[in-house]
Amino acid sequence: MAQQQKTLSVQAQAAAGAVSLGALSGAGGGRAREAAMEIGLRVGSIATLILIWWALGLFFPPTLIPRPWDTFAEVAEIVSTGNFFAEMGATLRRVAVGFAIAMVLSVPLGILMGTLRSLESFFEPPVILGLTMPGLIWAVLMIMFFGLNETSAYAAVAVTIFPMLAISIWQGTKSIDKDLIDMSKAFHARPWSKVVDVILPQLVSHILAAVRYGLGLAWKVVVVVEMFGFSNGVGYQVVRGFNVFSMKTVLAWTITFLVVMIVIEFGIIGWLERMVTQWRPRVEAWRR
Amino acid sequence: MLVLDHVSFDTKENGVTCLLGPSGCGKSTLLNAISGLERLEQGRVEVVSDHGRATTLAPQLGYVFQDPRLLNWKRVEDNLIFALKGMEVPQVEWKERIHKYLGMVGLLEFRKQYPLYLSGGMRQRVGLARGLVIEPEVLLMDEPFSKLDQFTARKLREDTLAICAGLRQTALLVTHDVEEAAYMGDRIVILSARPAHVAEILDNPLPPLERELDDFGFIGFKKRLLQSVLKLMEEEVRAC
Repeated sequence: MAQQQKTLSVQAQAAAGAVSLGALSGAGGGRAREAAMEIGLRVGSIATLILIWWALGLFFPPTLIPRPWDTFAEVAEIVSTGNFFAEMGATLRRVAVGFAIAMVLSVPLGILMGTLRSLESFFEPPVILGLTMPGLIWAVLMIMFFGLNETSAYAAVAVTIFPMLAISIWQGTKSIDKDLIDMSKAFHARPWSKVVDVILPQLVSHILAAVRYGLGLAWKVVVVVEMFGFSNGVGYQVVRGFNVFSMKTVLAWTITFLVVMIVIEFGIIGWLERMVTQWRPRVEAWRR
Repeated sequence: MLVLDHVSFDTKENGVTCLLGPSGCGKSTLLNAISGLERLEQGRVEVVSDHGRATTLAPQLGYVFQDPRLLNWKRVEDNLIFALKGMEVPQVEWKERIHKYLGMVGLLEFRKQYPLYLSGGMRQRVGLARGLVIEPEVLLMDEPFSKLDQFTARKLREDTLAICAGLRQTALLVTHDVEEAAYMGDRIVILSARPAHVAEILDNPLPPLERELDDFGFIGFKKRLLQSVLKLMEEEVRAC
């Protein structure tokens, strides 16, 4: 067999920017173009949804599928007449309070379940049970128990999302790097420093993921609670629209609600996430 | 299970002592026992002062691990502060010490950087600086070069040796690499396996900064070490 000469000639250019340099020095030209592309895709996705909505409207009467622009006009009116802020404020307050209660309870419980086996065994069944309980039933139970007042809304939101938060923090705690705990022992770290400097930072990404899912659940429950007979809030406004069979009103309130959710999700939580994970190099290099 | 059996040795004062032994012979357990991460069933660890009297039963120890074990969410200098805080070093000294020891490992300009933006060798240097910054009576190092590539390891060995010699730092280095032991150790304690006991203690005839990997004197000492280790392994095979 003839011996084959094989050579591999390598001509490489440094393409280091993507991983480290980009993160050090901020956006370069390529970065900006990528970002513009990303925004374009998102806008395109929303535009497609509106297009489908408009197309459906061609086959149904406006009472069933109102025209997109009529609905947007209604949105503008809701926002400009001013009661939007009061109604949305009431709903947001219910979500925020319920969420805060659930958070304050689930972080310590999750950490304890992740560290102590006995507590894990004790709390696992109720937490799993709680997870399978529909938010609607929690809403009914809480209103029957507390009556039609703010407390029942806060409680319903808190109980519905609590198991979900506890589970992710519990699982996150179990995956903590034990070597780092040893390291902190070797350097005599105080218990408080161990929690704040070593344990909590490892939980941050789990907590943020939990916050995302938790908020998603919280919006759903709060609207249900409000529908039961509250006199304000987005849920109440949707029911009012339903009672006069105005599809336009129902959709308009839904849209304003969605927009606020998206602002919170991408704006506030996304910003928070970037703040607390800036120590981590971006992994965009392998994503296409 | 008995892991350590009557292991007893003195480290070289103000010098580097290497614990040399095969993998799994209990070297790391010994180091963990010394640092208090694992409890000794019997025995004690003492730092003895010049006058031959024990200064402390719980000596101030710095630790350099096999992998860097940095808090990746803290900047380089904050990783050092974590150790300074734990060891209760007064805050007025922090800045000066961070400057001194990060400078020593050559990472002063990276003090505001996050560890994951540094190379593996640089991260290990941060780990070394963290062990030194608390100015320990004894610096413990658990195979600190074994996860680095050959070039990086070689350079870091050189630098670590020079730093320890410069500081007259008493240090205890665990390794399974004969050449590393011959290069780094002023004294070499050869451990045998399961349960670990001290087989032989040798002092390095060459002073720290005169060890060259291709020097005859150095090669001679390395051979001498290797023979001891090989003899030990033969004996163990026969004992089986």
